[in-house]
Amino acid sequence: MRILLAEDDPLLGDGLRAGLRQQGFQVDWVRDGVAAERELAAGDYQATVLDLGLPLKDGLEVLQALRERKNTTPVLVLTARDAVPDRIRGLDLGADDYVVKPVDLHELGARLRSLVRRAHGQVQAGLQCGGVLLDPAARQVSLDGAEVALSTREFDLLHALMLGAGRVLSREQLEQQLYSWGYEVDSNAIEVHIHHLRRKLGQSVIQTVRGVGYTLQRSQSGT
Amino acid sequence: MSWLPSLQSLQARLLALLLSLVTIVWLGAAVLTWTDAQHELDELLDGHLAQAAALLVVQQARADGHDDGTDDDGGLADPPSLHKYAPKVAFQVFHEGRLMMRSANAGTTPLSTLTRGFSTVRLQDKKPWRVFATRGGESDVQVFVGEQTDTRDDILWAVLQGVLLPLLLALPLLALLLWWAVRHGLAPLRQLSQALGRRQPHALEPVVLKDVPTEIQPLVQALNGLFERIDAMVASERRFTADAAHELRTPIAAIRAQAQVALGAGNDTTQRDHALQFTLAGCDRATRLVEQLLTLSRLEATANPGAALPLNTAIDLSALTRRTCADLAPAALSRQQELALDAPDVCLVIGDETLLGVLVRNLIDNALRYSPAGATVQVSVASRAGQTELQVSDSGPGMTEAEIARLGERFYRVLGNEQPGSGLGWSIIRRISAVLGVRIRVSRSAALGGLCVTAGWPAP
Repeated sequence: MRILLAEDDPLLGDGLRAGLRQQGFQVDWVRDGVAAERELAAGDYQATVLDLGLPLKDGLEVLQALRERKNTTPVLVLTARDAVPDRIRGLDLGADDYVVKPVDLHELGARLRSLVRRAHGQVQAGLQCGGVLLDPAARQVSLDGAEVALSTREFDLLHALMLGAGRVLSREQLEQQLYSWGYEVDSNAIEVHIHHLRRKLGQSVIQTVRGVGYTLQRSQSGT
Repeated sequence: MSWLPSLQSLQARLLALLLSLVTIVWLGAAVLTWTDAQHELDELLDGHLAQAAALLVVQQARADGHDDGTDDDGGLADPPSLHKYAPKVAFQVFHEGRLMMRSANAGTTPLSTLTRGFSTVRLQDKKPWRVFATRGGESDVQVFVGEQTDTRDDILWAVLQGVLLPLLLALPLLALLLWWAVRHGLAPLRQLSQALGRRQPHALEPVVLKDVPTEIQPLVQALNGLFERIDAMVASERRFTADAAHELRTPIAAIRAQAQVALGAGNDTTQRDHALQFTLAGCDRATRLVEQLLTLSRLEATANPGAALPLNTAIDLSALTRRTCADLAPAALSRQQELALDAPDVCLVIGDETLLGVLVRNLIDNALRYSPAGATVQVSVASRAGQTELQVSDSGPGMTEAEIARLGERFYRVLGNEQPGSGLGWSIIRRISAVLGVRIRVSRSAALGGLCVTAGWPAP
């Protein structure tokens, strides 16, 4: 899951990025409001952690502009402003969650997973597609009850496909969701990961739509 | 009114004052009445004495005409006592040296040594008598008429009692009335004290009283002014606490996040070490912030700038600046910044060493902190025509006029600044300069292009 982190404090930003990476998130970190706005407009992020006291442009302004552009990326506001009117204003301006510093990194991760899940219309924490069961929190996948060992990239790829079940996701979209900044992505990396997933979970799980991308059939979903 | 301070109550003071004044005036009136009545009475009774004497002279002259020398023992001349006051009155009539007629209590010797006019004498009964003496037309008749002075005193006492008795009776009544009047007059004061007494400890809204008397209005206004100032102070304290707590959240969140990353690093020692390093850095930052907050709150406690500190110590500004630069140099070098000092051997200013140290450190630290790596910071101490100046200029990005104007607001940070800081440094600089009487000027550095901050000491 690729997350945009907008936080101006170097120590806190570094800690949040490292902590979220430990939980399997791909984190891009920007340090001011203008950069946050630019990246949110350009990138395909599953969610955003937004500090309010950002330099150059306040977090609330970034949030407001984002929603005015009909961008539905889930936004978790992480701030030191804890007054109730501040919370109300943040949520009313379009924040999906409002968390006051300091925050437990695992709680932050859980909240982000919950935001992403709800953004995709999922109710349960676990994702199911046929015999494949994916637990985002534990980062575990099982096929017909038997646990399957996946690499980080394979898990993220399957997670992205399961979240977007029924939709066709292009290779670029999948790349964007899998890799944060600073990674050189091989042109055939996605194909390689798809190949591995098919080998571990069976050929019929992921379909290729030639010239467009990949998809997981919702009809296979047991729920 | 040295006896009044023992009376704590305003009402008791007023009552005591009024009652004593009334008594004094009344007593004065009594004394006046006494002397006046005495004078009038003396005139009246003396007139009676003279009148009676004249009658006796005339009567004796007539008796001489048809009854000459028939009496020799004076028994004939002893008239009956007709009134209870008669023993207090006496008379003698002599004719050619012989006692012709006398009252029973008069004796046989002349009442007075004077032959004419008034005199006060003591007779055989040892009491003072007022005696009027006169002679007949041919000087052969000598008449003395006397009256006991006691009589006069009795009358005077009666008059005085007429004045003093009502006072004695009226005083308690008057005291009661005065007590009521004073109490009624002081009612607005009591209302004020009740209104104040009913207040909650934190209620600081102005006192509103209907129909406040003009004498109490200044008091109410002063009180309301005080409430306003206290309110502002409390609000400022509250804001400060809130701001401080708010400002501490970020470093604490950073420490927590980094510590959690270190815990979750597992076998990745590089990541763990990095996170632990950053945890320490976070602690240092929180410490610095707390120190700044404490410094600021201690400075704010010095509500009366200058008065709280005896500013009479001469401090070597050159040595102090040199020490501060030496302290800060390692941090500057680690960011490839050039820190240069230009100061005379000795440069004395008046001030407080601790505060001055904090001021100089903050000025230089700010310049280093908010200038990029590789920047130059030039510090100079100079004394010209008795005026001492400490100047800190840098080659950093500088500031716009609007940003310069907002410097010193708590927690104000220039946007786009990546350096961790709370903006408290400038609050501290402003505060200390106010306490020490140092002028701070912020301008653009002509030589280095960045910010130039000048601290100026007035000529001693």
